[in-house]
Amino acid sequence: MRNHIRFIRKGQIVELSDVSPTETLLDYLRLRERSCGTKEGCAEGDCGACTVAVGRLRAGRIVYEPINSCIALLGMMDGLEIVTVDDLAPSDEHLHPVQSALVSAHASQCGFCTPGFVMSLFALYHSRQRADRSLVNDWLAGNLCRCTGYRPIADAALAACTGEPDDAFSRRSAKTHALLESLIDDHDIRIGDDESFFAAPASEDALVSLLERHKDATIVGGATDVGLWITKQLRSLPQIVHTGRVASMHEVIVDDDRIEIGGAVTYAEAEAALARIDPDIEELLRRLGSKQVRSLGTIGGNIANGSPIGDSPPWLIVLGAQVELRRGDARRRLPLEDFFIDYGRQDRALGEILLRIVVPRPAANEHFRCYKISKRFDQDISAVLGAFLFRIEKGRVVHARMALGGMAAIPKRAFHVEGALVGCEIDDPDARARAMDLAAKEWERDFSPIDDHRASAAYRLQVSHSLLTKALNEVADRPTSDMRLIDRRDLHRIEIGDLNNSHDSHPNAMDPGSPR
Amino acid sequence: MKGEADSAVDRSKAKDGPAGGSETGGEKGDTPTRWIGTRPVRPDGVDKVTGRARFGADVHLPNMLVGKVLRSPHAHARIRSIDASAASALPGVKAVITRDDFEDRPSEFVPAGEMLVNYRDMVRNVMAREKALYEGHAVAAVAAVNERIARQALSMIRVAYEPLAHVIDVDEAMAPDAPLVHEDLITAGVEPPPTAPSNIAKRIEFVHGDVSKGFAAADIVVERSFRTCPVHQGYIEPHACVASFSEDGQADLWCSTQGHFVVRGHCAKLLGMEVSKLRVIASEIGGGFGGKTVVYLEPLALMLSRKSGHPVKMAMTREEIFRATGPAPGTHIRVKVGMRNDGRIVAGEAELKYQAGAFQGSPVQAGCMCAFAPYDIEHVKVIGHDVVVNRPKAAAYRAPGAPQSEFAVESVIDEMARKIGMDPLQLRLANAAKEGVKAAYGPTFGPIGLVETLEAARDHPHYRAPLAPGQGRGIASGFWFNIGGQTCATLNLGEDGTVALVAGTPDIGGSRASLCLQAAETLGVDATRIRPRIGDTATLGYTFLTGGSRTTFASGMAVIEAANDMIRQLRKRAAMIWDIDADAVRWVDGEARPAGANAGEFTPLSLAEIAGSAGKTGGPIVGRAQINAQGAGPGFGTHLVDVDVDRETGRVSILRYTVIQDAGRAVHPDYVEGQLQGGAVQGIGWALNEEYIYDDRGRLQNPGFLDYRIPVCSDVPMIDTVIVEVPNPSHPYGVRGVGETPIVPPMAAIANAINDALGIRFTDLPISPPKVLKSLREIG
Repeated sequence: MRNHIRFIRKGQIVELSDVSPTETLLDYLRLRERSCGTKEGCAEGDCGACTVAVGRLRAGRIVYEPINSCIALLGMMDGLEIVTVDDLAPSDEHLHPVQSALVSAHASQCGFCTPGFVMSLFALYHSRQRADRSLVNDWLAGNLCRCTGYRPIADAALAACTGEPDDAFSRRSAKTHALLESLIDDHDIRIGDDESFFAAPASEDALVSLLERHKDATIVGGATDVGLWITKQLRSLPQIVHTGRVASMHEVIVDDDRIEIGGAVTYAEAEAALARIDPDIEELLRRLGSKQVRSLGTIGGNIANGSPIGDSPPWLIVLGAQVELRRGDARRRLPLEDFFIDYGRQDRALGEILLRIVVPRPAANEHFRCYKISKRFDQDISAVLGAFLFRIEKGRVVHARMALGGMAAIPKRAFHVEGALVGCEIDDPDARARAMDLAAKEWERDFSPIDDHRASAAYRLQVSHSLLTKALNEVADRPTSDMRLIDRRDLHRIEIGDLNNSHDSHPNAMDPGSPR
Repeated sequence: MKGEADSAVDRSKAKDGPAGGSETGGEKGDTPTRWIGTRPVRPDGVDKVTGRARFGADVHLPNMLVGKVLRSPHAHARIRSIDASAASALPGVKAVITRDDFEDRPSEFVPAGEMLVNYRDMVRNVMAREKALYEGHAVAAVAAVNERIARQALSMIRVAYEPLAHVIDVDEAMAPDAPLVHEDLITAGVEPPPTAPSNIAKRIEFVHGDVSKGFAAADIVVERSFRTCPVHQGYIEPHACVASFSEDGQADLWCSTQGHFVVRGHCAKLLGMEVSKLRVIASEIGGGFGGKTVVYLEPLALMLSRKSGHPVKMAMTREEIFRATGPAPGTHIRVKVGMRNDGRIVAGEAELKYQAGAFQGSPVQAGCMCAFAPYDIEHVKVIGHDVVVNRPKAAAYRAPGAPQSEFAVESVIDEMARKIGMDPLQLRLANAAKEGVKAAYGPTFGPIGLVETLEAARDHPHYRAPLAPGQGRGIASGFWFNIGGQTCATLNLGEDGTVALVAGTPDIGGSRASLCLQAAETLGVDATRIRPRIGDTATLGYTFLTGGSRTTFASGMAVIEAANDMIRQLRKRAAMIWDIDADAVRWVDGEARPAGANAGEFTPLSLAEIAGSAGKTGGPIVGRAQINAQGAGPGFGTHLVDVDVDRETGRVSILRYTVIQDAGRAVHPDYVEGQLQGGAVQGIGWALNEEYIYDDRGRLQNPGFLDYRIPVCSDVPMIDTVIVEVPNPSHPYGVRGVGETPIVPPMAAIANAINDALGIRFTDLPISPPKVLKSLREIG
């Protein structure tokens, strides 16, 4: 048991034993360290002014990821290197390459957002990718600038991020590597007393037994939601149990027929594996929150807190995902679609932990599509998220699954609509139109969208119909429009050569030349 | 890559580095320059990327308390009582303030710098008195040893509200039976004055010619109604300040503001202090766009500090910013334009209704004046209504008032061009205001560059680039007055020949660079030898705020005058050293030279040499200027935009965007381009996605950056810019303000482009995906 956390700052190991459970990393930096370069613009993880980079070892290499320090808990920083804007330049004459590029491009007007942009670009710089505009958009989706219109910032990113990091951090990577390795241990962390504590157990058993004793404790994955309970809702959360140190919950297993994602795996960690299922999932994940959110946010957390507007449940449900839960020694597995009971209510007991998610991969004759509809392309909550899977035999839909997010109190399957689709001759436009007519009649038995500030019920209904039409037409290889709802369906960004499993039947899916 | 446009910028007069020398001392813009028009790294560039720049919330004083504000949960409620006794008794709480701590002020408009201010309203806006007038209206504030205790104290303040019917829509507020925001508000500008109160604070009218005659001469008349949503300035830095009273009744205030002299005046008035007892220090400012020209937290922090005897820091949360600080007003605008078949516009009429928020003073007057300003029209009539509603008091936002009315007019002009089958750009050229034209709002234009921007648009490759099927292209022009005003600047010559430049206008987008360049140009010295600073209110004379696109123009003129003042002294000192007459000394390329052979043979004296011996020639050398800058050149711009519309979701994508604007003279072209790009992108947000969403109880539903959607990087293409230079004769180098005009044209340009793509005319902003999809379904 450790009663302190350790992390790396400016090449040194920092040990802290006074960590309040809900203290944010930003407060630590600004109030305790007085490193005021990092800014607070919203305290909600939306604007990115507070972006810092965290370094960690992944597959034996140091990886830097941008995070929103305003909603990250200080306790979660155990074992990481924290890099802030104040750390990059030893002197004005030796600015970091991304800093120099930003200065030369005149990319600051007021400069308040600049520290966050510097750190997002620092992480991009270390990603070893050569930046193009599309990559820059992805990496900057979580940073708002109201002055510049982004052009000079994008110019600076393109100039600096050449794919070959050569800076003080890359030059001292061996030392940092050794320091990061020295921080790895299998001790449970517990700071505080029984009333108020931050805990980060290192094993599943320790986690489970801690939660048996403290059933009301708040379980935290990446804190991208819980962080807002603290900073925005001002909730008092005296007992925090962080899942991030449980080794077994960090596994990602890729098998021929399924992918298993540990309950503490972040979106960033799962992206590559999940992208193998389908390019639409890769696209969707690219638009889920921002880099900062995906660096900390966990898929397990997204499911476990049961938000009706989470971006992952619909497509996981359609793929037939199961969740594995544990409380004490009792383990159980259930289909994800049964996990959501009602608004804010999940089939999870107090103190029960979501261990992993098992995602079956579609068979060769199963065709998957998913689309995200939001008012803003990046960094927005879905108005509607549609996921579809059609099993097609001899040109006929023999099995259909469809789930929509944003259309009911919980993400749920559309059993009645699905029934109306079975039997549809997929290549016959008239048959598809008839199936749509049948499906439309069933729609309101499955869905009851609400009017709220994100979208009206009418818009949600209208768009959800369009999505099904689009999915059917696309599976029939008749794209309805040049522009995809979630960008164009292309595969060239997938790095792993794993494309032949389920997509070789879609010529339209194989257009590496299509622009993004 | 979608929407990736050519980044080349047509800027014939800009140079990439210092050019040849020239005789200096304030000459006109068409002479060669060494520094004006170059693009050096700005003086604060490194501070911004290293995190060293100190913004409002970065100030920290010993024993500092944290101040927090209790805000009304009601859109409209009478405040029966406030009981803060429990909060005051909480350990760690050092002060609690309410309406009782502020003295009431009479309702009258008094001059405050360049503005007319009603302190009766201001004292009520910073702290509710009889009623809470909008959700988020400050009702009480506390100062405590930390934020947790401060928040706890807020929760212990008992406020007895009597909720009242509220009104947030401008038309509903004008209805005879509307709930009254102020029970004693009598409409001004109506003769005879109404006997009953209403929510219409003011009616204004601008007329020239006779519109009935004009419309009678018109072959076609188009009349349309438009609605725009309130939009927030969306600065990324939250309002923040630190106030510190000392026992002798003097106070220091650090704050993020566009005008610390203005803050000083307002705060001194609200606290009953002499202005000389209050020193205001402007921190770096993280965006303002007009929204940081008013006071919210500053008087509260000062009052809490005075009461507690400690320094007090206050900062708003993002939610507080959305709920309680000024948006640009939402509007309802009717526009009617009459035209002859040959494309000549003969009459323009408009009626503007602007939401002022909880207190009167929307920018409807500017909206009226700007509506038809880009055009030479014989008969114009514009009527404006300033209407109070239960929303936060509207604040300035970049060209305040103009974007809404010009959106309406530019949309109608586009529709008329289509009606007669004329190219909308040619139609604008045929009617464009130019030098000598009497503007629709009164004065006669001097040299202006609207025609030049239209010609540059016509000649730009963007205008001729082919569009794919289904895409659309739009064009719109825009106008903003720009202002000058009271301004001081000082140049302090150091003994090593470097110069400390002190200006009083907070640097919001690179103005320290543009001031340095103007000083360097005038003095003939290297710009890197000049270090600019924003002086506090004790170091300079009154200087109006950074706003009205005035800083590079007005502070620039002050700096030039201060430099010329310094040059006069330098020539005198050289004359003294050489023992000749001062008139026989010229100042050229940063050194004193004998004016000619008759003056004698002397080795030139550099600035550093004269500075080094200043002690022996009369003492310190300081160039000063205190001016009231006149002759700000009006700003005109023309925008071109290409859009694509997703027929299945209604999403509009901006494929290509070109901003063309007359800058008079671009002192630092990169920062001019930055203003053009930034303004255009704010306009894109305004056009497509930014809106306030209220529930039926008048409570804001989207008070955060997740649901108030300002553009992110992927929402916009690389914005192209073309700087046109039609020098402003009132400025030594020809400068015009550039900051505001670029937010005026985008809404109409985009609506016009969508119309080009779909054949649908959108009259309500934002043109968000649901609206587009609905319209697409309606036309089948």
